[in-house]
Amino acid sequence: MSLGMNSFKRALWIYHMNTGSCNGCDIEIIAALTPRYDVERFGIKLVGTPRHADVIALTGPVTADMVDKVKRIYEQTPDPKVVLVVGSCGISGGVFHESYHLAGPVDKIIPDGTFVYVPGCPPRPEAIIQGVIKAWELLEEMDGGKKNERTARKVERKED
Amino acid sequence: MKFTFIPELFRQLFSKPYTNLFPVKYAPVSIKETLEKVEKGEIKITPPVEIPDKETFRGKIQYDREKCIGCRLCIKVCPAKAIEFKEEEKKIRIYVGRCIFCGQCVEICPKNALSQGEEFLMADTNKVNENWIVE
Repeated sequence: MSLGMNSFKRALWIYHMNTGSCNGCDIEIIAALTPRYDVERFGIKLVGTPRHADVIALTGPVTADMVDKVKRIYEQTPDPKVVLVVGSCGISGGVFHESYHLAGPVDKIIPDGTFVYVPGCPPRPEAIIQGVIKAWELLEEMDGGKKNERTARKVERKED
Repeated sequence: MKFTFIPELFRQLFSKPYTNLFPVKYAPVSIKETLEKVEKGEIKITPPVEIPDKETFRGKIQYDREKCIGCRLCIKVCPAKAIEFKEEEKKIRIYVGRCIFCGQCVEICPKNALSQGEEFLMADTNKVNENWIVE
């Protein structure tokens, strides 16, 4: 098992990236953290840097100015990673689909990424949480579906 | 004046919590195994909170093919251009991935062929899945 694959353990940390969103989806992501929904008690929280994150929550269609930033942030995230595309903009462009400044939806810029799409303009917090659960499932699959990472690593060391 | 807080205190003691109940009490060790167990019926999960107002809720668009007369008013009014016209059949196709759930097509439809349902949990890993195309 490579070093990078060990970095995901239970608590899921999310880095939120705005790529020219209208702030509607951003507000709904914040709403999912409020006491009404309270995802932080499951260990799901927003972090300030992509280097700590397992999931990138990406809102907005990607504008021409954001292309290199999206690429850089995607590369900075450690390896079992999923991009959670929140809102219709990131899926197909949404209402901005024929604007002059668009560099296309996200999968055009990161062609080999793993995506979970949440439709809605904006999606409800429940829908975003469902998307996060889907991303969690994908990360577990990438990790090899192992239950307890620590014991798995001990076994590997003994074999060495 | 000293004990004005007492009624408020009792009200809060016996009121329901504002936090929505989670499907499970604690984060499971393995989400995948838990979901498989739920499908088999070994674990019960708390159902999602009910939609507050079903009359005015704007969920996924539902389309009644029989009522549609192919007038293209919905295509004209759609701000995201999420609706496509099928020339041969004179019917429409709606892409949920681009739809912004504004409900303008529902308002303008002369035959009430379009309506908005209650489905909104539609997260998926595939961008062109069948669930996102209404026709």
